[in-house]
Amino acid sequence: MSRTILDLHVLQTVPPSNINRDDTGAPKTAIYGGVRRARVSSQAWKRATRLAFDSLLDPGELGTRTKRVAELLAERIRELDSSIEEREAWTLAAETVQTATGSKIEVPKRRADAAKKKGEGEPAPESAYLMFLSARQRDGLAELAVEGRADIKAFLKDKDNKKRAKEIADTRHSVDIALFGRMVADGADINVDAAAQVAHAISVHAVENESDYYTAVDDRNTDAEPGAGMIGTVEFNSATLYRYAALDVDLLRKNLGEGLRDDEPVTEPLRRAVEAFVRGFVESLPSGKLNTFGNNTLPDAVIVKLRTSRPISFVGAFEEPVMLGNGHLQEASGRLADYIPEVELAYGAEDGTDTWVLRIGRSTEKLSGLGTELSLPDLVSAVGAAVAQRPAPAK
Amino acid sequence: MSVLALLLAGPLQAWGASARFARRTTEHAPTKSGVIGLLAAAQGRERTADLADLAGLRFGVRVDQPGTRIRDYQTAKHFDTGKSMPVSERFYLADAVFVAAVEGDDTLIDDLHRAVQAPVYLPYLGRRSCPPARRVDIGVHRDQSLEQVLADQEWRAAGWYQRSRKRESTVPLTTFVDATPGDSRNDSVRDLPLSFDPLHRRYALRGVRTDTVDVPNPKARRSAPPDHNPTILLGGD
Repeated sequence: MSRTILDLHVLQTVPPSNINRDDTGAPKTAIYGGVRRARVSSQAWKRATRLAFDSLLDPGELGTRTKRVAELLAERIRELDSSIEEREAWTLAAETVQTATGSKIEVPKRRADAAKKKGEGEPAPESAYLMFLSARQRDGLAELAVEGRADIKAFLKDKDNKKRAKEIADTRHSVDIALFGRMVADGADINVDAAAQVAHAISVHAVENESDYYTAVDDRNTDAEPGAGMIGTVEFNSATLYRYAALDVDLLRKNLGEGLRDDEPVTEPLRRAVEAFVRGFVESLPSGKLNTFGNNTLPDAVIVKLRTSRPISFVGAFEEPVMLGNGHLQEASGRLADYIPEVELAYGAEDGTDTWVLRIGRSTEKLSGLGTELSLPDLVSAVGAAVAQRPAPAK
Repeated sequence: MSVLALLLAGPLQAWGASARFARRTTEHAPTKSGVIGLLAAAQGRERTADLADLAGLRFGVRVDQPGTRIRDYQTAKHFDTGKSMPVSERFYLADAVFVAAVEGDDTLIDDLHRAVQAPVYLPYLGRRSCPPARRVDIGVHRDQSLEQVLADQEWRAAGWYQRSRKRESTVPLTTFVDATPGDSRNDSVRDLPLSFDPLHRRYALRGVRTDTVDVPNPKARRSAPPDHNPTILLGGD
């Protein structure tokens, strides 16, 4: 079976910062190689990546995660046919989603009671769980609902229509659902397995959290009360992070489906999704305490590999923590430059592994031999083009 | 019968056996359901597929480096409305290394071996955000028992950890192996997977026998302490 797997390796230095904190406000940490490391959870970075998609992709390619699927779908139904009243649209939407996903869509009792007390009409029905519907799925279900408007219950009882509803919910996933998965807790047949795997970012060196004691002066202080307006502490650390993510390109292709537009190649959705993922992951940064610390940095080094059998994380290069030497970045680059060929040699370098490198400054010089060196826009389009050329795995 | 040995090492791992709802705990060692899940995913089985053959494999795991348990506090905000969602606690084993092994008939073991070398779904150590840091597959062993393989495998702990125990020329490592009928001392864990169907996951109880095996420490201090017996000078017998 031909296989396509992409892995991304990033070295990024962040100055004093608190990107991702725990319930005590301290930056998250983990132990690795016997010492404490700075950690940024995979969840935090996935969210940052998804947010970055907003500027990289058309909203029509993204999904919405909500319990209020009926309202969402009803809006689209009324766009299609403005003669449908809101309440009727809610009912149409609820019936259609219920058939498509198998999840109950009903008015939450609490809301219904509250509305009654206030003398308002019955509110919109909701799903019990957060549902992730892509724009394309929403459009498909709305069209179906309008078609069966006359008697939606009977329409959806029809075996073919029922099947159509299920099919719409099960295919044509938009980019972020296809990448990061979807959770519909009781509609298992439309669950999407995420194509991307993001590891927790950890520092390549040992870290101790530090504490910043601050005082804030009240501008309207009088001489009678000259003290600070308030005092407090903020915890922070500085780190050179190793960030790793892997992308199952074949699964992404399956999740997205092939392009349906006549004026573009069938691999177009795949190419756009891979490009958005690479660019979004590389450039994004979780926004925790960003205004306090102004830690807006970009990665100093990015290595992208396109492989044929399995992804490889290089975090092992940093199991022995990097010591300061000539700076963490230079030491870390040296470690990667030695470790990557060693691992690939030991386990048999695969044929057809492509490698691209983006790197900044003298500290990362050692990485230059690992692959084709490009700027980010060029790297992103090179990866996209290579992915589009890879064959789909045999079914 | 053959045995497939797997190396489970990474900065973070999570092996839940009784993790429910917002509190996702981890056991101290990989669970049978977790490792079977890894193998089934490598083969590309769907979540609803029959697992009877995999669940029927004998399973054992050796703790090469116990690691530390860390707690991750996770908040979530609704992506569209910005509302806060229920907070959850996730526990991880940080810095741990395990050797896990499954024993079964040759064909199935060979098939699993091929699958872990070129997995259909990307492998992870119990939780998706925990990719393995080293190669998972460490080989098939023919005509050996599970216990033998766990006893004979070299010590896979990290260099720094082996050095930290350089005074011990051999180290005792804990193993957890499927109990056999007649084992007098065993605990039970609800981690025998019957179905990974997300609509209705089911696990059965599994008897687990705890043992220790002694393995050599490659980083042990080379020269043994000199043979020094001061009482010899005193004569006598």
